[in-house]
Amino acid sequence: MPIEWLYGAAGGVMIGIAAAIFLLANGRIMGASGILGSVVDGTAGRSLSEKLVFIAALVAVPGLAAPLIGRAATHATGSVAVLVVAGLAVGIGTRLAGGCTSGHGVCGIPRLSVRSIVATLIYVGMGALTVLLARHVLGLI
Amino acid sequence: MGRLFFAALSGGLFGLGLVIAGMTDTRRVQGFLDLFGGWDPTLMFVMGGAMVPMALAWAYLRGRQVSLLGAPLPESPPSKITPALAIGSALFGVGWGLAGLCPGPAMASITFGGMSGLIFLAAMIAGMVATPRLRALIASLATRGHRMDIRRLTDSYAVSPQILPEDVAAIAAAGFTTIVDNRPDGEIPPEVQTEAMRKAVEAAGLAFVVNPVIGGAITMDNVRLQGAALAEAKGPVFAYCASGNRSSIVWALSQAGTRPTDELIGAAARFGYNLEPMRAQIDALSANRG
Repeated sequence: MPIEWLYGAAGGVMIGIAAAIFLLANGRIMGASGILGSVVDGTAGRSLSEKLVFIAALVAVPGLAAPLIGRAATHATGSVAVLVVAGLAVGIGTRLAGGCTSGHGVCGIPRLSVRSIVATLIYVGMGALTVLLARHVLGLI
Repeated sequence: MGRLFFAALSGGLFGLGLVIAGMTDTRRVQGFLDLFGGWDPTLMFVMGGAMVPMALAWAYLRGRQVSLLGAPLPESPPSKITPALAIGSALFGVGWGLAGLCPGPAMASITFGGMSGLIFLAAMIAGMVATPRLRALIASLATRGHRMDIRRLTDSYAVSPQILPEDVAAIAAAGFTTIVDNRPDGEIPPEVQTEAMRKAVEAAGLAFVVNPVIGGAITMDNVRLQGAALAEAKGPVFAYCASGNRSSIVWALSQAGTRPTDELIGAAARFGYNLEPMRAQIDALSANRG
């Protein structure tokens, strides 16, 4: 089995433990789009401070760790048009859908939430279709 | 303080997990989504690994009312698949496929993702900020051709989906003396926001009570205000929100103890409002008051 799969599973378990801590201690769903979205659209209310602290740690720890373990390359596209369109689609889409990979995927599916399962099937399916079209048909990415 | 500590621990561990799993590398994410170019299954292992602790956490919390620090637990999600869920997820999938980034990794890679990461993040935040306005726009299109529906939970209290200013005359004619606005302004266009509704209601000679209820975040102040509106009304009370659901919930909580919990839940159930998840809270309030 390729070592990357093991890293994936190990990192995944850490992500799951992080989500479990946020739920068990703070009673909150660890959804990246919900946490950031409610901070920037002003609906965070009394949870603002814990969300800001969450985001600060989410930015700071990888900032220290990624260079140390040689994983600081994101290989993101340099095309401004693709980045802007993709960013807008992710921002609007996750807020309309009420969750993203972490909220619907990591937190919602283990809860057997029908909405989360449907959302995950749709975004993975559309993601695959988008890569197929953009990479193999249109040659955009 | 405890909450902030665990928020930091959770955020930090989430970020570290994303980096170790390789999820801040867009090639790896797009490699998973690319079924026709040397498929990379790593993301599946990440998701599978992440679901194990969460499944245990949900199992542990089954039947509990509060978190270990005493915070309220998230409400059970509605089972309804809405157009917003489907359209939003599809849109998210397109963006995720194009850039290989989703919100968590986009934040985790701020310090090392260079200009590309920052451009994506800025566009994503702009999209998030714009979404409530887009929702309001969609709602204003959807309220065209809507029908007010008076749903009488009891002789003295009725709920309805969102009403328009021109509906007020019919509500007055139906004998109501007070209208309660349970819909936060942020969800709707100006024509049906609180100030427009207040003008219409007061012009018709009815009492108007503003008690905006945020979905999933009902406060005790909401409950008290709804109860006071009923207690002080000269006649039947009419309350509205988006669907009538929130107006039903605050009513049931405010009336806890004045009649059996089964009766409160049953009255709402006749119109399709499921208050069963609130049963424990209604019972607790009714015990306090008794």
